[in-house]
Amino acid sequence: MMNKPNQTPPAPATLDGDGCWQLDLRGLAPPQPMVTILRHLEEHAADGRALVVRLERDPVMLYPELAERGWEARPLDGEAGEVRLRLQRA
Amino acid sequence: MKPVAPKPAAARRPALGGAFLSGASGRLLPASVPLRYFGAAALFHLAAWLVVLLTAPDWPAWRGGLGWPLAALHLVTLGTLAGSAIGVSLQLLPVATKQVVRWPKLLSAIWWLYVPAVALLAAAMGMARPDWLAAAAAAVIAVLLVFAVMLGLNLRAGGSMAGVVLHGLGAVVALVLVLASAAALVALWIGRPFLDHGAARQLHLAAGVFGFMGLLAFGLSFVLLPMFTLGRVPGDRQQLQAGAAALCAVALAVAAALIPAGALPLRAAALAAGALALGLHLKLMRGILDTAMRKDLGPSGRLMQAGWAGLALALPAGAIALLAGQGTVWGTLFGLIAVAGWLLSFLFGVLQRILPFLASMHAGQKLKRGPTPSALTMERPLLWHAVAHALAVLLLVAGLLLSSPVLVRLAGLAGTLGALAFVVFFAELLRRLARAMTEPAQ
Repeated sequence: MMNKPNQTPPAPATLDGDGCWQLDLRGLAPPQPMVTILRHLEEHAADGRALVVRLERDPVMLYPELAERGWEARPLDGEAGEVRLRLQRA
Repeated sequence: MKPVAPKPAAARRPALGGAFLSGASGRLLPASVPLRYFGAAALFHLAAWLVVLLTAPDWPAWRGGLGWPLAALHLVTLGTLAGSAIGVSLQLLPVATKQVVRWPKLLSAIWWLYVPAVALLAAAMGMARPDWLAAAAAAVIAVLLVFAVMLGLNLRAGGSMAGVVLHGLGAVVALVLVLASAAALVALWIGRPFLDHGAARQLHLAAGVFGFMGLLAFGLSFVLLPMFTLGRVPGDRQQLQAGAAALCAVALAVAAALIPAGALPLRAAALAAGALALGLHLKLMRGILDTAMRKDLGPSGRLMQAGWAGLALALPAGAIALLAGQGTVWGTLFGLIAVAGWLLSFLFGVLQRILPFLASMHAGQKLKRGPTPSALTMERPLLWHAVAHALAVLLLVAGLLLSSPVLVRLAGLAGTLGALAFVVFFAELLRRLARAMTEPAQ
C-alpha cells in the first residue's frame, strides 16, 4: 500500500505556453523535491521537453543526478526567496 | 556522450536571488572534511578485520572485557560507524535544513584528535592498558560531545522532516548516554568506579548500538532510501509511529540496564518493542521500494537489505541470550550480529552509493563539467567488498557458535579482503576526483 506523502502532495506538472513542464515544489521537505523532479524526468524522458522547477533552496544534491542523466540546470529569475531552474538536456 | 554536470546556480548566477543562492555553497562542508572521515572509516574497517584475522584464537571464549576482540569492536563502532555518521550527517543535514555549516574548521580540526584517539583506544583495549585507555577515551568523548552538539543544532532546524528529527534527537540523547557509560567503564578499569559494571556495560550496548547508531540509521533512511531509489517518501505520521516504537525499545533497554531489579522483564519488553519498531520500519522501507523507479541498487542495495536481515536476526539472538543467562556465547552473538550484521552492512550499503554522489556534488561546485557519480565509481571492488563482507560476518557467527578459531580466522581473512576492496574503491574515487579537479579546460 502506498504511503501518503509527508506534506501536501506536489501539484502535478503542467505545460506552460512555451511547451515546458512546470513544477512548483516549494513547501516540500527533503528529499521530496529531488525525488519528484527525478521521477518526472524518468516518466517524461521521451518527450524531450524542458522542466521549470520552483524551489525553496538551491538543490545541490540534485546536480549529480542530473549530470548522470545528461541533463543540466539553468537558473531563471524567480520571486524573492525562490530558486527557479530550467532543467533541460545538456 | 559524456553527461554534463550543471554548475550550481549559486556560482553561476551570483546576482540573482543573491542571499539564498550564495547560501547554498555555505551549506556544504569543504569536501576534504567529510572525505577525511570516510577515509578513516575505511581504514579502521580494514584494521578491525585484520585484528580478527590475527587474534582469532581469542574470540571463541571472549565474553567481554579488555582484549583484542573489544579493540576490533571499537575500531568498527568508533572508527567506522561513528566516523561515517559524522561525515554523512554533518554533510547532509545542513543541506536538508537550509543551514550554514557551523564551525567547519573545528570539524576539520577534531578529525586530527579523533582518529589518533580511536587508534590509541583500540590499542589500549587490545593490550589491556587502562592508563592509555583513559587518555584516549577522554579525547574520543570530547570529540563526540562536539558532534552531539552540532547534530542537535542541525536537527533543531529540521522541523519539516519530523521523522528524521525524532530519530535524530533520540540518537543525540543516546549518544550522551553512550559517552557517560563509556566514562563509567573507563573509571572501572582505572579503579575509580561510579557505576556498576553490568549496568555500565548494558547501558553502553543499548544506547550505543541501538540508540545512537540504530536510531540514526533508521532516521536517515527516510531521506537516503527515497533518494537512492526514487521511491515515495513515507508519511510523517508513519515515520513518527516507527520512531516512537524504536525510541520506546531503546528507552526500555536503557531502563533494564539501570534498574537491576526489573532487568529481565524490561529487556524482554525492549526486545518486543524492538521487533515492533523493526516491523514498522521495514513496512515503510518496503513502501519506498514498492514505489521505486530505480529497483536494483546493485551490491549497495543488497548490503542494505542484509543489514535489515541482520537486525531481524539480532533480536532473536538477544532473546536467546536472555533465556540462556549471562556468560553464554549468545550475548556475544547478539552484539556481533547487531554491529556487523545490521549496522555495518547497512552503513556500507549507504557508503557505496553516497560517496561517489557526494564527491560529484563537491566537484560540481568548482567545475563547469564535473565528473558524474558513475565516472567516479569503480564497480568491481564494490561487488567484491559486498560478497566478502557477507561471508566474513557469516563465518564469524559460525566460528563463535562452533567455538572454532579456524572459522574465525577465515572470517578475518574474508573481512580483510573485503575491506581492502573497499579501500581500493575509495582510493580510486579520490584519484579520479583529483584528476577531474586538475584537468584543464573544465
